[in-house]
Amino acid sequence: MTHIRLDNIGCRILAGLSLHVDSGQAVAILGPSGSGKSTLLKVIAGLLPASGKLYFDHQDISKQSPHQRGLAYLSQDLHLFPHLSVKRNLWLALLFGCPKGINKRERIRQALIQARAEHLAERWPTQLSGGERQRVALARCLARQPGLMLLDEPFSSLDPANKQALWQELDQLRRQLGMTLILVTHDPLEAQALADRVYNMAGGQLLSHDDPAVPAD
Amino acid sequence: MRLLVWCFALPLVLIALLILGALASLLLHLPWQSLQQALLSEETRFATLLSLQTSLLSLLIALCLGVPAAWLMARQQFAGKVWLETLLDIPLVTPPLVAGVGLLFLLGHRGTLGSQLAQWGIEILFSTTGILLAQIYVAASIIVRTARAAFAEVDADYARMAWTLGLPPLWSFLLVEVPMAGRGLAAAAVLGWARALGEFGATLMLAGATRMKTETLPMSVFLNISSGETGLAVASAAILLVMAFVLLLLTRLLARRRTIEIQHDPHPAR
Repeated sequence: MTHIRLDNIGCRILAGLSLHVDSGQAVAILGPSGSGKSTLLKVIAGLLPASGKLYFDHQDISKQSPHQRGLAYLSQDLHLFPHLSVKRNLWLALLFGCPKGINKRERIRQALIQARAEHLAERWPTQLSGGERQRVALARCLARQPGLMLLDEPFSSLDPANKQALWQELDQLRRQLGMTLILVTHDPLEAQALADRVYNMAGGQLLSHDDPAVPAD
Repeated sequence: MRLLVWCFALPLVLIALLILGALASLLLHLPWQSLQQALLSEETRFATLLSLQTSLLSLLIALCLGVPAAWLMARQQFAGKVWLETLLDIPLVTPPLVAGVGLLFLLGHRGTLGSQLAQWGIEILFSTTGILLAQIYVAASIIVRTARAAFAEVDADYARMAWTLGLPPLWSFLLVEVPMAGRGLAAAAVLGWARALGEFGATLMLAGATRMKTETLPMSVFLNISSGETGLAVASAAILLVMAFVLLLLTRLLARRRTIEIQHDPHPAR
């Protein structure tokens, strides 16, 4: 579990944004395209530079490189590595930063089971359907057992039935593993299904937060 | 439309005939009776071995220099990039002979760098090192250009995803970007090798044309034609032609496999 605090984060799109997420909590950020919600996730992941301070478990990680932050980032495009089989995609995620003595094969198997993708282990990304690709990408994130998971509209290309099934599974997994989660979406239903708290974002600012039962405007 | 196709077919046939004519004439001049003898002659064997050794070593060095440079050119934006791109393309559009003259002035005993190197006992001119330098000069340029296109085809977000999965940037480059650009990089290597193998002008300037010393296959053709040893010249030319054909075929096959992969991949790299 990871406790997150963002202090006065600013860049070309974000305007002095602050956010506080408790350990194990799920936060959704709603907003139209161009509001800066994806930028915020990239800043947290270390993929974009920004001013301000970023704390994971009270430790300042603002200057850390993305590979040192120990989080998982799931984007809309998923970016499964096409030159590696599903199993190898997960193996790559365990290559660095994995504690010594961990049985990687077992960890991969567990992650695939958790994402209900164990039957896909030997396949190649190009042989997967949209839903299967989402599950594999999720398994790849879970294999690292991250304290924080960042989701950037990862289910937007799925049909409603598949989407809802994955929401339920992800919500269960998050609670079971105690992961902190930050989700950005433009779908209030998705925010409601996955988050404990919902923020609304516009013009690079977090404007309001509400109970997820009442979609933030 | 049909008329247009026929009209455009004429220049195509003319170009093909020109190439075919040159190849056919060469084949007609092959000394079939003494070909085996010419191919197995000490001079041809020396030239073939020297060409293979130097071109492969040049290729290795050009890849080590060219692939990181190509990645940088594909991924980073910086001031003066257009000027640098133009500079890197110069070896592609100027005769290597011109570059050879320039390098000769630079590395000659009276040259800026050459005089210094001579003091340290490093001899580049009229030696195998001169051949390597000339070959690297022509190969590196085409490798940078082709590899750069290969890296540009790979969405940079794959590397960023690898970073978030814990891979340091160098490992992400080696385990994600290089394999994903693999076919393009292989094509770059084949083209670079072909250029190094056929290099003549800059080699002539930097290494000279000395029999059994700096005699690569193109140099062997030049030396033997100059001295009237047509048999040996044609044998060396034939070896070069076979090598060039194999390398070009390899490039075509790599490009074809890549096209097929893209056509069948619902989620291509880009």
